[in-house]
Amino acid sequence: MIPIRLRRPLLILLLLMSVSSIFIASASGSVSLGWQEWLAAIRDPGSQHGELIWRLRLPRAMAAWVVGSMLAISGCLMQVLLRNPLADPYVLGVSGGAAFVTLLGMVFGVAAAFLPWLAILGALISILLVFGLARGTGPWSGTRLLLTGVVTASGWGAMISLILSLSPDNSLRGMLFWLMGDLSYATLPSWSLVVLAGSFILTLGLARSLNVLAMGETTARLLGEPTRHMLWLVYLLASVLTATAVSIAGSIGFVGLIVPHLMRLLVGSDHRILIPAATLFGGLFLVFSDTLARTALSPQQLPVGVITALLGVPLFLLLLNRARLKGV
Amino acid sequence: MTTLACQSLDISIAGKNICSKLNIALEPGQFWGLLGPNGIGKTTLLKCMAGLSAPDSGSVLLENQSIDKLPRRLVARLLGMLQQHTVYVFDASVLETAMTGRHPHLAYWEREGPEDKQKALDAIRAVDLAGFESRSVTGLSGGEARRLAFASLVVQEPAILLMDEPTNHLDMKHQVRVMDLVETSVTSRQQCAMIALHDVNLAARYCGHILMLFGDGAWLAGTADELLNRENLERLYQCPVEPVLTSTGMRFLPGA
Repeated sequence: MIPIRLRRPLLILLLLMSVSSIFIASASGSVSLGWQEWLAAIRDPGSQHGELIWRLRLPRAMAAWVVGSMLAISGCLMQVLLRNPLADPYVLGVSGGAAFVTLLGMVFGVAAAFLPWLAILGALISILLVFGLARGTGPWSGTRLLLTGVVTASGWGAMISLILSLSPDNSLRGMLFWLMGDLSYATLPSWSLVVLAGSFILTLGLARSLNVLAMGETTARLLGEPTRHMLWLVYLLASVLTATAVSIAGSIGFVGLIVPHLMRLLVGSDHRILIPAATLFGGLFLVFSDTLARTALSPQQLPVGVITALLGVPLFLLLLNRARLKGV
Repeated sequence: MTTLACQSLDISIAGKNICSKLNIALEPGQFWGLLGPNGIGKTTLLKCMAGLSAPDSGSVLLENQSIDKLPRRLVARLLGMLQQHTVYVFDASVLETAMTGRHPHLAYWEREGPEDKQKALDAIRAVDLAGFESRSVTGLSGGEARRLAFASLVVQEPAILLMDEPTNHLDMKHQVRVMDLVETSVTSRQQCAMIALHDVNLAARYCGHILMLFGDGAWLAGTADELLNRENLERLYQCPVEPVLTSTGMRFLPGA
């Protein structure tokens, strides 16, 4: 953990890095732009480079940032909800439902523009299914929610495999890219910004409650939290964020698991600092990963989910190991 | 003045009768010891008195209102409970954790002020954890975690303290320290406390009032002077008890 007085500078640093990552992303790619070319292109959106930046790269980088932030917040929420450091945004089947319905749409040749809506539909089905089955009438049961969610997720997994095995070879590639998470065709609908901003503000307002909820349901109730309502709110908030992220970019892995943990190692578990740090770093991390996915084997594009894992896993293991050495 | 009362409380769990028609009232300035053998339902009773679970019948009244009708936030300002086990899953500092006691007193967007921080620091010092403020809770020993949980309860400043074996995992010095702290707040701040204990002699030393749970719903409540004697304790623990008169009063040893 870094000293408390460095927390604010860290947030400012992450904010600056976020902004610059989006600009760097817009300058790099199959056509790499120098500093002056880039400036000229930004000033003249009608030019060839201007079109490239304003219509392709900036929207894509923005989409990456928004998706990364959403997954990071959702991951923080899920880990509190299930009181399990291994929880990620997909553990309760939200992405599975989204993937199943989207792949079904691909099989039936639904136009690409409608696929995000299918993903939202699938995610909503999954959210309501898990919510309905796990709700019950008794007190809050994290175990019941976890089991219901995990089993539902496995069910979706089986149906996804079924679709994949029955699909013609020529559509498999697109499906696999979607499943691994891909920002190539990502567009950033304006309502997703509202979802991100709204959830961020709400989560930040609940941050002290999240600290208490992380100490366990009974402790939280004894400290004055109406835990049942609060935990369902956390579940719905995390699910909506995940659904939105998945509808934009497919199920990009590891961001929602690793970013919250990396930030926990840096700033600790106080959600008042953890949430903004994870939001900024999640966005930054995904922009960076996506830029690498576009440029590493250029002109070949890689699914960004592969990069997030390849970058995230060693980074995470390294930091975890360092933390252990220091005896944190 | 805040009181907590049980009115003809029936509680059973898994077919086992813990208490039937329990009538007691915890008044300000009273220090209650809750005695009973292992598995008799002390924890279940305390949870019920904290409004965490509902009784089969009867009611728990906090300030003359049924506790399950009151919002949790209000309850948490009046009543605090130390649970039997404290497990910290996520990293947080000792100071942050002690400060969670202020949670029910703050509004959603409010941050802890210097006063809240001072209360937390005082409590940390009182439980002998000074110097641990920035340590991570996940690295604490059993006894240290226990004292920290007690410190959070002190920081919460409830008028009613329910404690489930607060002296668990504590060495002799810290047992006395925790009990002294409870005694001080009970007498000087007019709080009231109920403590589930296995150590009859700690109860004999500190508690003015005793509640005994015998199983099958039977219970006895009254002052320690009336209840702590060989006959009741042998009935309670189903083993021979040897009373010994010491300079500080009657103590009890396992008899032959």
